[in-house]
Amino acid sequence: MLKAANLIPQKRLYVISGVVLLLMISLVLRFFYLQIYFHETYKKKAEVNRIRAIPLNAPRGLILDRNEEIIVDNYPTYVLNAIPGEMLAKRKNFQIISLCTGIDTVLLEANYKKYFRGKFLPVRLAKDLSFDQLSRIEEHKQDLTGINYVQFPERYFPGKINAAHLLGYVKEVDQAMLKDLNVKDKYLYGDLIGWRGLEKVYEDHLRGEKGVYFVEVDAHGREMGLSTDYLKENAIPGKDLQTTLLIPLQKMLEQILDGKRGVVLVSLPETGEMLSMVSKPDYPPDLFTGATTVKEWQEIISNPEKPLLNRMTHGLYPPGSTLKIITAMTLMEKGNINYSETIDCSGIYEIGDRQFRCWKETGHGKMNLEQAITQSCNIYFYHVVQRLSLDEWSEACKAFGFGNVTNIDLFSEAKGVVPNSSYMNKQYGRWGWSKGHLLNLSLGQGELVVTPLQMMQYVNLLAMQGVAPEVHIVKDLTKKNYIVKNYSQRTWNRIEKYLQNVITSAHGTGKRANTNIQGLKISGKTGTAQNPHGEPHAWFIGYGEKDNELVSIVVLIENGGHGGETAAPIARRVFDFLFSSKDNMKLAFSL
Amino acid sequence: MIQLFLQKFRESTMSILIISFLLTGIGLIALKSISTGHEGHFLQQSFFKQFIFLLPAIFAFLIVFFIPRHTIHRYIYGLYGVMIVLIIIPFLGSEIASTFRWIDVGLPIGFQPSELAKWIVVIALARYLSDHNLEMNYFSVSILPIIIVLVPAAIILTQPDLGTAIIILVPVLPMLYWVGARPFHLFLMVAPLVSILTAFHWMSFSIWAAIMLFIIYKAKPNLVFSISTFFGNVFLGLLSPVLWGILKVYQQKRILTLFNPEIDPLGAAYQIIQSKTAIGAGGWFGKGWGQGTQTHLKFLPVQESDFIISVIGEEFGFIAILILITLFTLLILRTLRLAYNVDDRFSSLVLLGLSTIFTAHVFVNFAMTVGMIPVKGLPLPFISYGGSFLLSSYVMVAFIMNLSIDPKDY
Repeated sequence: MLKAANLIPQKRLYVISGVVLLLMISLVLRFFYLQIYFHETYKKKAEVNRIRAIPLNAPRGLILDRNEEIIVDNYPTYVLNAIPGEMLAKRKNFQIISLCTGIDTVLLEANYKKYFRGKFLPVRLAKDLSFDQLSRIEEHKQDLTGINYVQFPERYFPGKINAAHLLGYVKEVDQAMLKDLNVKDKYLYGDLIGWRGLEKVYEDHLRGEKGVYFVEVDAHGREMGLSTDYLKENAIPGKDLQTTLLIPLQKMLEQILDGKRGVVLVSLPETGEMLSMVSKPDYPPDLFTGATTVKEWQEIISNPEKPLLNRMTHGLYPPGSTLKIITAMTLMEKGNINYSETIDCSGIYEIGDRQFRCWKETGHGKMNLEQAITQSCNIYFYHVVQRLSLDEWSEACKAFGFGNVTNIDLFSEAKGVVPNSSYMNKQYGRWGWSKGHLLNLSLGQGELVVTPLQMMQYVNLLAMQGVAPEVHIVKDLTKKNYIVKNYSQRTWNRIEKYLQNVITSAHGTGKRANTNIQGLKISGKTGTAQNPHGEPHAWFIGYGEKDNELVSIVVLIENGGHGGETAAPIARRVFDFLFSSKDNMKLAFSL
Repeated sequence: MIQLFLQKFRESTMSILIISFLLTGIGLIALKSISTGHEGHFLQQSFFKQFIFLLPAIFAFLIVFFIPRHTIHRYIYGLYGVMIVLIIIPFLGSEIASTFRWIDVGLPIGFQPSELAKWIVVIALARYLSDHNLEMNYFSVSILPIIIVLVPAAIILTQPDLGTAIIILVPVLPMLYWVGARPFHLFLMVAPLVSILTAFHWMSFSIWAAIMLFIIYKAKPNLVFSISTFFGNVFLGLLSPVLWGILKVYQQKRILTLFNPEIDPLGAAYQIIQSKTAIGAGGWFGKGWGQGTQTHLKFLPVQESDFIISVIGEEFGFIAILILITLFTLLILRTLRLAYNVDDRFSSLVLLGLSTIFTAHVFVNFAMTVGMIPVKGLPLPFISYGGSFLLSSYVMVAFIMNLSIDPKDY
């Protein structure tokens, strides 16, 4: 196919060669003009007055509570930098700095290695310098060539509340991290970046924009004053982040839970706003800022109480009897239950060769549905739950959000497990599981595990009768609703009445959550979740309403024993706090 | 077989390869200078990596050099198809630096398929133009060649990589001219683009309108055609600021980023000033190897690739720049001469296209470092740091040496 002969008129070769020559000559002229004709000008510019760009660090936005009280603040510190190419005597410099600040030269040397980026770029030698240390360095400024300092706003926690799991923390961007960021150009080594919790989720909001100013520098690296060629660009601080948290309540609950392992969550069901989120044990929120010593770190990660675990979103617990509400509602909706029908609780129930016990060993006697919920009778539910299939029951649980994330604005959360028949088949084989498992599951035991945050969503759905906005920590009107469709108004009303009985009835398991506050209507349910590692976990979930203001609560105390005894009284403290005075109500509800 | 190879090698134009090696050597010296300031590990220095990149580049050179020309001719369309797929693939992969130029090949280095596109498009175009005995006096004949370059250029433009897209587009003009297209037709292709660009500045637009009038008058097409060409272009020019105004701010930004990808906190203008200062401070002989303070300031983010001329200009001075430009000019003019001398039209067109690619790269890279044209991310052949481009450059050299030999039995 290569038959076309090359017959090109010579003129075309000359035209194209001519164009190439013209382009190249224009380049040569341009370079001659810059390098020879204007050489003196540029030489001066380059050697006498070098321009150094000095970054102005922007403070991150503050994190505020619902009443604009500050939770996370900034405080100004100073960072000491060295310009390698301008340092005349590195070792001597380091010795002087060490004398002035008390920082070991070995550490300075190590930082120098770690942050080195190039001959004429600042290397961070030390951070968090006090004003004292700085003024001593200033005294020796003559001897310290190529050393300068810039202000650097560091994260600061006023210490009103801990909430460490929630707030998250910031990290310094280092070389390895920069490789993985997909927004590389926004960050430099040593910049702060939100790494967990709210700091991470709202990174773009909280992060400020760096400014820069230019100083002229002589050949020895001494600053000669501001450059007139380039304008200073001010740093733009990050925007403040207003959360829905209520500091006084959070503070009180952190104190109550001190020394225990557990979670308390408080929210407003009508909006999904979280008022309080406590997970204990926790760690000081400033653990990751400044210099964390290896010893401190070792202590934290080897602690058997697991303080780093965010129990609100990643703690997986069997929900215990709190789940009887779903079982009851499903039965009511299907018409599988007669409200006057009674079942005799003797404290023990046998199915096949297995025995199931009620928590009250002597038995409750004759129970109808209402009494069975109020007194949390297991035997009653063992009987009636058999009218449901495992899949009907598990679908009902999933409808309330179990087995899925709540979409809260935190870094991540666990999904939990809601077993259905295919799950059980996989786990035990087609014939390996039986009715006994269903009995167990329906009481919130066994394979079923949930996070406390899912429980919060569940309580909110109960309080709002099936339509409640997703829970969140930063005010967000675009949060969509969770909707539970399958129940009629009659069922919702009836179950609310039962749940109020749990609190007010003399035999009610949740009576210790009750308060003396006039006009406050509380509904709730306790749970006592058996677990193989010791005492059962204590649950209380519920909500209270007064003057059209609705508050919901989830309390979980690990190995706390009976929910009615350990968890319910904490809920009472919350109701007391929020509804006892007009002032507190105003703090909580006027956002 | 080896004998055949050596024979072919002896008959080829060695000066092309010698110039390439000289240029690579100069590049390595400049990279070594940049690397010395760093305390990083020797193996991670750009100097060392570039040295290693030379091995696959030379390997690729040897292979391409030995492929018989009829094989190249036969398979180029297939290769063109594969190339189109390859440049679409990165869109499905992960984002690197929020662009889509790289394919992750599971190696510690990424590969940039748009590098292949440059020469594949040229060879495919060469085959089309030489296979069809075209009557180049008709404008419509140029349509299909334009599509051949426009499709890959458009895909690469959205990556976004304006520099490479331009490199792919440019060869079509000289290649059409080479096989006999009327210069006026080439003018018609370029005119709308110039109209749009000049429309934002009334002075340049007026000058452009005058130039258009002159060219149309000289070319003497029929009256209706002249009038419609002229007013079509004026209308397009007048319309473009209006259309620009309709665009949302973020859309405008996106287009502006195309022309100026180096949006950094210090601004592109600042970068150009730094580069000019560095080059200007070099003088006749430069400050000496490793002594460039301006370039070591690292105000230039890509000084080892796109802005390496700043380093060379500062440290080795005008003489070195003159030597570089001379070497590049020799390489290009030699290739053009070969394109004129070679026997078949296909080879001639390939040589012409490849020399155009080299010219465009060299001119754009040199010109941007001294602020003659806006910043675009285009590296300098043989000199800039980067494995894909080094390999691509040596492949192009191999094609030039291979196809410039008179076909006997290779």
